[in-house]
Amino acid sequence: MKKSKKLIVLAILSALCLLIVPGCKKGDDKSGTGGEGKTIEITHWYWADNSDYSAKMQEIAKTFNETNGKNIKVKAEEYPWDGGGYSETLFTAAMGGGGPDTAAWKLTSTPLFVANKLLAELDGFINNWADKDDIEENLWDVMKQAGGSDKIYVMPWNTQVLYVYYRPSMFKAAGVSVPKTYEEFLEACKKLTRDTDGDGKIDVYGFGMRGAKGGQEPWGSFIWARGGNFTDFTTPEAIQGMQDFIDLFKKGYTPPTAPTDGFNEIIANFKSGKTAMTIHHIGSSSGMVETFGDDVDAFVFPAGKGQWTSMGDTENVIFESCKNKEAAFEWVSYLATGKGQEEWCITTGNVPVSKRVQAMDFFQNNKFMKVSIEGAPYAGIFPILDTTTEWINTVWPNTVAAALTGQKTAAQAMEELQKGLYGDKK
Amino acid sequence: MIPKPKEVRSLHERKAGIWPYLLVAPALLIVVAVVFIPVLNAILMSFQSYDLRRPSDIAFIGFNNYIAVFKDTLFWQSVLRTVIWVVFGVGFQFVFGFCLALLLNKNFKGRGLVRSVSLIPWVTPGVLIGLMWRWIYDGSYGVLNDLLMKMHIIEDPIPFLARQGTSFPAVIVTIIWQGIPFFAIMLLAGLQGVPHELYEAADIDGANVFSKFFHITVPCLRNTIYVTTLLRIIWVANSVDVIYNMTGGGPAYATQTLSVYVFNKANALNLGYSSTMSIMLTLILLMVAIPYLKTMFRNQEA
Repeated sequence: MKKSKKLIVLAILSALCLLIVPGCKKGDDKSGTGGEGKTIEITHWYWADNSDYSAKMQEIAKTFNETNGKNIKVKAEEYPWDGGGYSETLFTAAMGGGGPDTAAWKLTSTPLFVANKLLAELDGFINNWADKDDIEENLWDVMKQAGGSDKIYVMPWNTQVLYVYYRPSMFKAAGVSVPKTYEEFLEACKKLTRDTDGDGKIDVYGFGMRGAKGGQEPWGSFIWARGGNFTDFTTPEAIQGMQDFIDLFKKGYTPPTAPTDGFNEIIANFKSGKTAMTIHHIGSSSGMVETFGDDVDAFVFPAGKGQWTSMGDTENVIFESCKNKEAAFEWVSYLATGKGQEEWCITTGNVPVSKRVQAMDFFQNNKFMKVSIEGAPYAGIFPILDTTTEWINTVWPNTVAAALTGQKTAAQAMEELQKGLYGDKK
Repeated sequence: MIPKPKEVRSLHERKAGIWPYLLVAPALLIVVAVVFIPVLNAILMSFQSYDLRRPSDIAFIGFNNYIAVFKDTLFWQSVLRTVIWVVFGVGFQFVFGFCLALLLNKNFKGRGLVRSVSLIPWVTPGVLIGLMWRWIYDGSYGVLNDLLMKMHIIEDPIPFLARQGTSFPAVIVTIIWQGIPFFAIMLLAGLQGVPHELYEAADIDGANVFSKFFHITVPCLRNTIYVTTLLRIIWVANSVDVIYNMTGGGPAYATQTLSVYVFNKANALNLGYSSTMSIMLTLILLMVAIPYLKTMFRNQEA
């Protein structure tokens, strides 16, 4: 009797252990070993801004699978960008052992992933890669800076240079010409803010300001235009740039919802004719043309004392946990300089990193691409520190909202932004 | 009565002693794994510089996180906001929920349908509620502004979620809307257990509606009210989904309650600091819950 009782206890405990153990297993052996004749499966994560881009990525993966000749099968899985939430999802998955083999990437995430030893070093692959020189040398330097060492963890894919979208018909109606200087730009914001139907209410705002997450990119152009920079936000020049930003809102040249307007709102406001200008990159151009036809154009954010525009970057990485890094590199290099690069950049309108693709007629004849290329010399990124993600997601939107709504002065807000990014060190 | 022999009783006790534990063991193991271990882990983390952005710096730092939290003005602002959030959120949920329960307890045509429909806010996921109300409040295209303008109550649209003065009341209204059905259903169940004889006797004694409500209905529902209110206080204080999806805690931290602050800090991967704040939140809730439960049990005994 006693024996049978013990056996039952043992059986139940063993069953419980069996339940628990598979849950502890770290990841699946999905990458395979790449033995002869065996399919090597690579899981790739990416985000897409619309359904066309989504379908294109699936098509690129399918074409790659059919043509690579090495039995590599890429399984492309889409995750929402979610204002940067993508990187958090990726980090959680990778830390939990369930991340992909390769993933689309933003440079700002690099310090976090490198610090946690999640990314594979690519130097060995890149140095032996025939297409290495098809990518600008300075891009490799940017990739190295992001990792905080001489090693490369990130494979370039494409860039987006922010510029100002505008409605030529609204410019004409308000008697405004395309601004050549920063002062002219501020003046245009004022003149373009109009009551078009004479009911005493503003119908069109000059500038579609982005005050929510992601708004730091267009905001940066104001700081630099006054002669400031991102090393020290507390200089009089940087504070003046912030003051201009606040004034645009306070004087009513932006929609009153600006402190909480994100990507969707600024695009919706521009497309509905509520704003005459807004700042975004070429990724929105096809939607703009679809809405307005020829009545939409773009210009580079004009120079004041200085000039800067944000370079949106998109890269790819290989994870350290990937079992077959050669196959993974085959895939990310296909995206960087192969047919994948060509296809993706034609569909999205993003600026290619491959010199060969840049030289194609499609990119040479596109007016938005021309503005992107024109703005490229002034394009840069925010300092990539381990505080950058929190600064972008929480500190910047809340501090700027406080400044816009009059809770903080420009100087106080800049002091807080400085502290949020650099801590107490100056 | 013949007493059982000692040996037989002890064997029986032993039998009873093993099986209950064995049967409870799977549930207990799961609870230990998903509740106790994470809680212990959180307590441990609160004494460490556990910031995944700087994994090489992770070390025990004693009470430094607690000291930093006490010095953090954002923390105290969040605590104050949490108190307002809970008092107004749960308070109005209770009042409107009670009214709805009294209404649903009456006999009228289509009562079943009204009961089902009134449950909708409660069964809608918080994320969806957040997104839905964000659009309702939208300053450019929101239906609320449209209605108010059509009724000539306002002339220009109000960006409810973009202004500091309106964003917090706006999210409180949302959480009230979400929680009304919970109170309504729980109180309705309680109301159905109140014996009709009591009301009949009161009628004979000539009691009016208010006397019956305060001297029969409320005392009979006391336990339900205690339990539901306590549960709601805890849930609302811990609620993140609605605020996060409506405002993310902004603008200018105007809607950042303590649980949203914890969530934002954890999202920034500063797990040590966010664990410290979550422990503080637990302690604050215990400070409310323990006296509350004590009063409840004392009343029950009385």
